[in-house]
Amino acid sequence: MNGVRAQVNALVAATMAVVLVAFLVPLGLILRREAEQRAISTATLTAQATAALVVASGPEASGLLSAGRDADGVLTSVFLPDGTVLGAPARRTPSVELAARGRAFAADAGDGIEVLAPVQGQDGVAIVRAHVTEATLHRGVARTWALLGVLGLLLFGLGLLLADRLGRRLVDSVTTLAATAGRLADGDLAARAGLTGPRELRRVGVGLNRLADRIGELLDAERREVADLAHRLRTPATALRLDAESLRDADERARLLSDVDVLGREMDEVIRTARRPVREGARPHADLASVAADRVAFWSVLAEDTGRALDCALPAGPVPVRVAAEDLAAALDALLENVFTHTPDGTPLRVTVTALPDGGGRIVVEDGGAGFAAGAGARGTGLGLDIARRTAAAAGGHARFTRSPLGGAHVALDFSAPA
Amino acid sequence: MPHVLVVEDDPNVRAALLRALRDHGYAASSAADGLTGLHGAVADRPDLVLLDLGLPDLDGLEVLRMIRAVSAVPVVVATARDDEAQIVRALDGGADDYLVKPFGAAQLDARIRAVLRRAAPDAGPAGPITIGDLVVDPPGRGATLGGTALELSAREFDLLCYLAERVGTVVSKRELLTEVWRQPYGGSDKTVDVHLSWLRRKLGETAAHPTYLHTVRGVGVRLDRPR
Repeated sequence: MNGVRAQVNALVAATMAVVLVAFLVPLGLILRREAEQRAISTATLTAQATAALVVASGPEASGLLSAGRDADGVLTSVFLPDGTVLGAPARRTPSVELAARGRAFAADAGDGIEVLAPVQGQDGVAIVRAHVTEATLHRGVARTWALLGVLGLLLFGLGLLLADRLGRRLVDSVTTLAATAGRLADGDLAARAGLTGPRELRRVGVGLNRLADRIGELLDAERREVADLAHRLRTPATALRLDAESLRDADERARLLSDVDVLGREMDEVIRTARRPVREGARPHADLASVAADRVAFWSVLAEDTGRALDCALPAGPVPVRVAAEDLAAALDALLENVFTHTPDGTPLRVTVTALPDGGGRIVVEDGGAGFAAGAGARGTGLGLDIARRTAAAAGGHARFTRSPLGGAHVALDFSAPA
Repeated sequence: MPHVLVVEDDPNVRAALLRALRDHGYAASSAADGLTGLHGAVADRPDLVLLDLGLPDLDGLEVLRMIRAVSAVPVVVATARDDEAQIVRALDGGADDYLVKPFGAAQLDARIRAVLRRAAPDAGPAGPITIGDLVVDPPGRGATLGGTALELSAREFDLLCYLAERVGTVVSKRELLTEVWRQPYGGSDKTVDVHLSWLRRKLGETAAHPTYLHTVRGVGVRLDRPR
């Protein structure tokens, strides 16, 4: 059972328990008191009736008195002035003595309640004692309490069942919403939330669907913008190139064409960078280890043909990073190509991939060449290294250019983990 | 003198293209929009149409489809978009070749000549090229060595095909980048080198002991018959 559902159930259980205790316990006590009152009333009536009988019949009333309980469970005794006890055997307690002074009352007899009624006769005061035992006093109370307990448990169970159904409905709606949000985050922009569940959740679903529509519209607009950007940049560049080529002066033509070449390469990179969001989609991700393995395998044949030792250290498992596989491959190709371009044949190179402790990964490409300092500025500012640097930066990481223990350049690209 | 109809909306590019084409010996005319271009392709009967895909009135691919419905004139598509899907749509739509902007006059001339050559009545159907035990079949996009089919990637096949069509000729890496990679002003020689290395593996040879692929240091590469 998941969290929200368990919490709803726990909340309902606690509320129901409090309500049931607050309702059933006083009710039980009232019913117990009612039973006692009923038994005392019966005993009082019995005592009064017996007193009337004693007055009317005198000592002959003994034949009319039962030695045991009557039908209501009341034990009736009559203490005559001469000390004789008629009816149920009983001791002459202090309460009886008190009643002999002419007071009628009910008192706790230790094993129940006794009702005492004095009767003035010709020979003195006779006392009628109606005794109700504890068992008689609370007869039926336990059964009533048991019924109340069963009723309470039934209500509690019913409440929990209803709460679970309500919780499940709520949780199902939230789970569906979460699944839709997850699919959107994974780049499935066709995912839409079903509008079910409580009104508030339906509103969240509507909002999520609107957000998905908006993301789709923005990506479409970006795609159109990027396509238009390529057209807007490359069309005048075509005119520029054709015009430069038509120059009569050879030096001027060569100089201008060289500038146009640089402009063209930078333009391609601008367009490529602008296309990145469209290329990546909503959630860029790739496995650094597998992309690195693929690119190293691709370049290994050239390493072999040029007498280079190509060492590659990759982790056993995947290293997920926040960059599209296509861009990652392009960045790695740029780094490896840079080594092959700027170091002589036979120069060793090494590629190492490691997972970073906080997520993401690092790839290091190093060589035994002359390094950046001796390799002239071109190596440090080449477009290839710029591509690698920009790719790492776009993936929430960075690039570092240092000297390798192998003697040459050491380029480390760090990439963040996928969102 | 072949007649080339340029369908291009940008006046500067159009003027530059007309000038470049005339400088390379073509008769050139132009149209600034799709409908005019379509009319010119039918009425003027040019030898080739150079069609820009980004036109103001009609989508270039739509113009291409309409031209193909009424004419077999060779069409070279010029596009600012270098994404594969667009290029595949253009080629599937009946284009004979394509150029990605920005391109130079020499590349334009080379493409037009190649297309006109293939379209010439006496050109006949392009058949397999046999070089020793190596057979390259451009229309079938396949190659065999000693009767065994070679497993080549699309780029490797394009590279082998380009070299096979120029057997015995040294081809520079820049030319390969321009013609095979379509990167006349970018790309790296090492990109060519690594593909050549793969091609060598598949041809069963090494750079040190070449059979078909010979590197001419400082110049380029040559596909030759085994000696």
